Amino acid sequence: MLGPVDWFIWVLSLLFEASVIVCSLRRKSFRRYFLLNLYMLISVLISAGTFRLLLHYGRKSLEYRYFYFYSEALLIIVLYFALIGLYSRVFEEMRVERYVRLGAVLLLAGTACFTYAVVSQSSHRMLTYFVFELCQNLYFVGLVLTYVLWGAMLKLKETRALLVQIVLSLGVYFSAYAASYAISNLRPDLYSYTYRLFPIIGCLLPLAWAYAIWRVPEDARLAPARLAVVPR
Amino acid sequence: MSRKLMVVLYAMLVLAGAMGLKTAVTAHGNGAPVLTADGRPAPAPW
Repeated sequence: MLGPVDWFIWVLSLLFEASVIVCSLRRKSFRRYFLLNLYMLISVLISAGTFRLLLHYGRKSLEYRYFYFYSEALLIIVLYFALIGLYSRVFEEMRVERYVRLGAVLLLAGTACFTYAVVSQSSHRMLTYFVFELCQNLYFVGLVLTYVLWGAMLKLKETRALLVQIVLSLGVYFSAYAASYAISNLRPDLYSYTYRLFPIIGCLLPLAWAYAIWRVPEDARLAPARLAVVPR
Repeated sequence: MSRKLMVVLYAMLVLAGAMGLKTAVTAHGNGAPVLTADGRPAPAPW
């Protein structure tokens, strides 16, 4: 059974995700950041499905496990395309959207092929392992892509404050996930503590986005000097 | 080099970097259950 802390974190996460959509609608930026909002919308719907499954079948059931990991694959793929959408926004003046899309599809296909090559030797529940491994791999691909995007933003002296906030919060999210992943693997004896880190990290991303969309106007600009220290 | 080849090269570099990072992180692991980063309660381990 779920403890009160699990319920609290889950409800908080659900509220933050819904608040991203509400803030976007209030700020009239739903279409501008459509993929980010789509990610949050799907996340809310999946949470509702998860709640229903949890009540009907319980946390230890196969139905809940399969739904959890397959829905997670859907979520991380949508988040991947949301990140690619941020690439398109950063490079929109260079008119390279076609190449960004090509790179995104190639990278996703490459990740899927790599994952298949890794799990193909396991004949037992191969599809489930494939989905699970693909999720993990896409988190790390997302981490690298976010840092590459941040490097490009520094190089291009990107000053749109909202875009900067969204990309930085994604960077923190992926970095925290990778750090928790590392701790879970390096110190499995701490698992009873570290397993709580993952849902907490999941809460922080929608909170940061909701805050950014609500508080930072679309036309707000940062001074380039605040983004990078230029050597004299 | 054409732009399309550059895109392929960048995609492969990102993939290699990401998988290298993941390998480095799990190199000393013993296959501990790893969860996904959202607010939902994780299922019990297999």
